[in-house]
Amino acid sequence: MTKADEFMSSARRGLVRVAPLILFGLIWHIICATGLVNKDFLPAPGAVAAALADLFKGGEITKNLTITLFRAAVGLVLGAACGIWIGVMMARSRHFREYVTPIVGGTYSLPKSALIPLFALWFGIGNVTAIAAVFLACLLPMIVNTYHGVVTTPKVLVWSAEALGTGERELWPRIFIRNALPDIFTGLRIALGFSFVLAISAEMIASTNGIGKLIFMYGENGNYDYMFAGIACMVIVAFLADRVLVILTKRLLVWHESAVTEPETRRR
Amino acid sequence: MLDLVRPKIEIRGVSKTYASEHGPVLALRGTDLTVNEGEFVSIVGPSGCGKSTLLYVVGGFLAADGEVAVDGAPIKGPGTDRGVVFQEYALFPWLTVHDNIAFGLERQGLVASEREKIVSRLVGVIGLAGFEKRYPRELSGGMKQRVAIARTLARDPAILLLDEPFGALDAQTREIMQDELLRIWLETRKTVLMVTHDVTEAVYLSNRICVMSARPGQIIEEFTVSLDRGRPREELVVSEQFNSIRNRVWLSVRRQALVAGERNDES
Repeated sequence: MTKADEFMSSARRGLVRVAPLILFGLIWHIICATGLVNKDFLPAPGAVAAALADLFKGGEITKNLTITLFRAAVGLVLGAACGIWIGVMMARSRHFREYVTPIVGGTYSLPKSALIPLFALWFGIGNVTAIAAVFLACLLPMIVNTYHGVVTTPKVLVWSAEALGTGERELWPRIFIRNALPDIFTGLRIALGFSFVLAISAEMIASTNGIGKLIFMYGENGNYDYMFAGIACMVIVAFLADRVLVILTKRLLVWHESAVTEPETRRR
Repeated sequence: MLDLVRPKIEIRGVSKTYASEHGPVLALRGTDLTVNEGEFVSIVGPSGCGKSTLLYVVGGFLAADGEVAVDGAPIKGPGTDRGVVFQEYALFPWLTVHDNIAFGLERQGLVASEREKIVSRLVGVIGLAGFEKRYPRELSGGMKQRVAIARTLARDPAILLLDEPFGALDAQTREIMQDELLRIWLETRKTVLMVTHDVTEAVYLSNRICVMSARPGQIIEEFTVSLDRGRPREELVVSEQFNSIRNRVWLSVRRQALVAGERNDES
């Protein structure tokens, strides 16, 4: 294949990827242009883009986005760190597991956003409430995935390591945690999604700033162009963050089966 | 021959009970076996007879009643004196071929230059030069098992414990690997205890074959194999000597398999 061919094929792949988005925008635009729905409830893509540009110009988006990302990131990092630690401890100690399992099981399917009013009562309006909500939401998938990754370590790997002179303490960093890494990254991807959900929800309920507050405020005031702009901005940021994590995971886990093969749809 | 026979592994009255959903299962009952230094001993028997369990007990991975001694000293858990090769390769998937082989050497605390010397020699021995940077998922079954053997040999254990090492390979690869193992054993004369369900493999490789009974496992019959290892495989396996012992071992295993089968029918 020549350079030009390569360029063409990668360009075609890129086009295939954005095609659905373009189509989506087009349908959206047509619906608005034909007046099928009230323009106040569904602003046209052009109007949203204009609002987004306006928000960027005024610095409003950048300022609030930084705040939201800060809350999401701090909660995610703390939740991930604690979640990994708790997951490992659950696998290491039976006593610890017996204490923690009912709590994890009981809170796993609880929608963490239900706790935001409670956190607001305890921690007030602002950073701490949002971070606490993100933290709790990220904690559980990290615990569950880390624990699963550690306890599914094949016995023969542990035995092989022992027969090659690995001591009990060294088994943790060299075998158990390594084996759990793919699961930990799966947990991290789930947690990343939760971190945005909870940061935005907390801001809508208990904050004076952040993208969540911005979206909520514009919605309340009936500035739907701007509300949509806020939502669009968040969608883009969340998508980019997820892609970055996926690429990072592939880089770090080159050894893992899932690193090479994208899930393929069945042919015929 | 003036070989001084010295017991390397002594298994005395080893019993092992597993907990299962249907209550405790006796896997081994009072098993005795002595493997002498430099000997290649195979354990064959019907599936589920506890032969792998016995190997894991000798490896120190499973606790059991009775006594296992190496060089006269009772074992306390796993040790680098006993290298293990498992059927499912058990390579560390997050390490390259090179790093898998070097794993034990790092634990040993060898300096990098010494390590590199040993690793590159073993990569040559297993014929995988050029594959050092590959990860296990990029290797075929035969290549993986070669790496597993090299990783175990790197620590230079006095004893090799092989748990159906070629059971997951196709017939052709299996024969090639058997020849390689035989060559390595003839060169190093390590003490080998191998578990297999392949009678031909056992006869081809071992000095001595122990047949294990249906569960609870016990060694019920022993066959000494004295074949001329210098002869090529195609000549050896068609020889009358080879086949007469193969048939006797096969009949012995079959009797046990039938016993095990009847018991399964009853339950």
